[in-house]
Amino acid sequence: MEYDVVVVGSGPAGSVTARFAAESGAKVLIVERRAEVGVPVLCGEGVSQRIDKWNMLEGKRWIANKVDGARIFSPNGTMVKISAEMAGNETGYVIYRDIFDQDLARSAVKAGAKLMLKTEAKALLKEKGKIAGVKVKQLDDEFEIKADVVVGADGVESKVGKWAGINTTLKPYDLESCAQYTLTNVDCNENCCDFYLGNKIAPGGYVWVFPKGKDSANVGIGVLASLSEKGLALKLLDKFIAGHPELKKGEPVRLIAGAAPVAEPVETVKDNLVLVGDAARHVDPITGGGLTTSLEGGKIAGETIGMAVKEQKFNKETLSPYEADWKKAFGKKLHRNYVVKEIMLDFDDKTLNMLADSVKDYNFEEFHTITLIKALVFKHPTLLKKLAPLIKAAAV
Amino acid sequence: MGKPKAIVDETKCLACGGCISVCPQDALSMRGGKAYVTSNKCISCAICIKTCPIGAIDEEEN
Repeated sequence: MEYDVVVVGSGPAGSVTARFAAESGAKVLIVERRAEVGVPVLCGEGVSQRIDKWNMLEGKRWIANKVDGARIFSPNGTMVKISAEMAGNETGYVIYRDIFDQDLARSAVKAGAKLMLKTEAKALLKEKGKIAGVKVKQLDDEFEIKADVVVGADGVESKVGKWAGINTTLKPYDLESCAQYTLTNVDCNENCCDFYLGNKIAPGGYVWVFPKGKDSANVGIGVLASLSEKGLALKLLDKFIAGHPELKKGEPVRLIAGAAPVAEPVETVKDNLVLVGDAARHVDPITGGGLTTSLEGGKIAGETIGMAVKEQKFNKETLSPYEADWKKAFGKKLHRNYVVKEIMLDFDDKTLNMLADSVKDYNFEEFHTITLIKALVFKHPTLLKKLAPLIKAAAV
Repeated sequence: MGKPKAIVDETKCLACGGCISVCPQDALSMRGGKAYVTSNKCISCAICIKTCPIGAIDEEEN
């Protein structure tokens, strides 16, 4: 079995990479170990409306709900409201990730990519020391798939990268341990995505309420793994829901666990190999959201691979425009947000409350860093010291 | 007798892959849609046990 490109994983990054490589004329195969693309869903299902700009999705079936903005609640309940323009990062739509993923896979297939389900990559195929494809297991059969380029789109586990000698092991302080219920028959504000901060609520992370409609919502939690203990995410999520009557009245129709990398990106290109999406750690370290970066990065990867196939050169040098271009597109932002994540981890509940109190009346539609800082420091002068590293990071 | 190794309760595991991503020994992988510990690679560091959001990983009973 021979292809130009084999993509391991049919998530958004894998499908988009496959699509753009296939559109450039490459012969592409996606292997997926699960029995259905996008299932089970492992996601909070919130995404920025920026996603519309790229025209990668057909129709609207993947949209569950459209939101106008976000509300952030500090540990003592102080609410800060942020309009969609400002919260642009990871709010906008609440989606059905299974339909979303299948839409993207369909686009890849339409472009000519082949897709194999229940097909698990077990190892890299090597020829004369070079990566030459993958060894897979499909139901009872084990066989080799030859390919000039292997794409690791295998999510947070990122085994393909590991096999290629890239250190993809995450430190516990670079992983959010997550749990989420989809609750039905709840009362929620269907126009807003809500975020709850606090070291007792979700140490090193946050609780989210993403409305899928007026009586249904994804209610989830992320806890930094370095601050976690066995089963803590689910325990704290249950505690949060028990303390919120508007959510407690509902019943869950789905429970999922999750793991979101909140790390610096890894090396993404080797001879005959690239990493995309969560496997490349293309995730915003503050929010844990990775859909926009996966789509943007996947497109760049697919186009770069397409060029490599045309030139019939697959060394690191030929593939490295992918790394240069994703760094240009979102590398700076990911790095800056990683620095901010580290600073915010030092904020105790008192600091978070002061911050919220200072900005709660701030009009986030007219956002200027300097006026915001003035507003903060005017009300709570002691914040200045806490925020100094943040201001420095924002200036980068 | 060494320290107890990690073991996944397959009836609880929801296959998020978090444990696999943090294992410093590459001792965890997905098998049949559930996380699985390769016991002879496990160094009993318990990082996976702490990481699991739903408490599906335990110390093996000797």
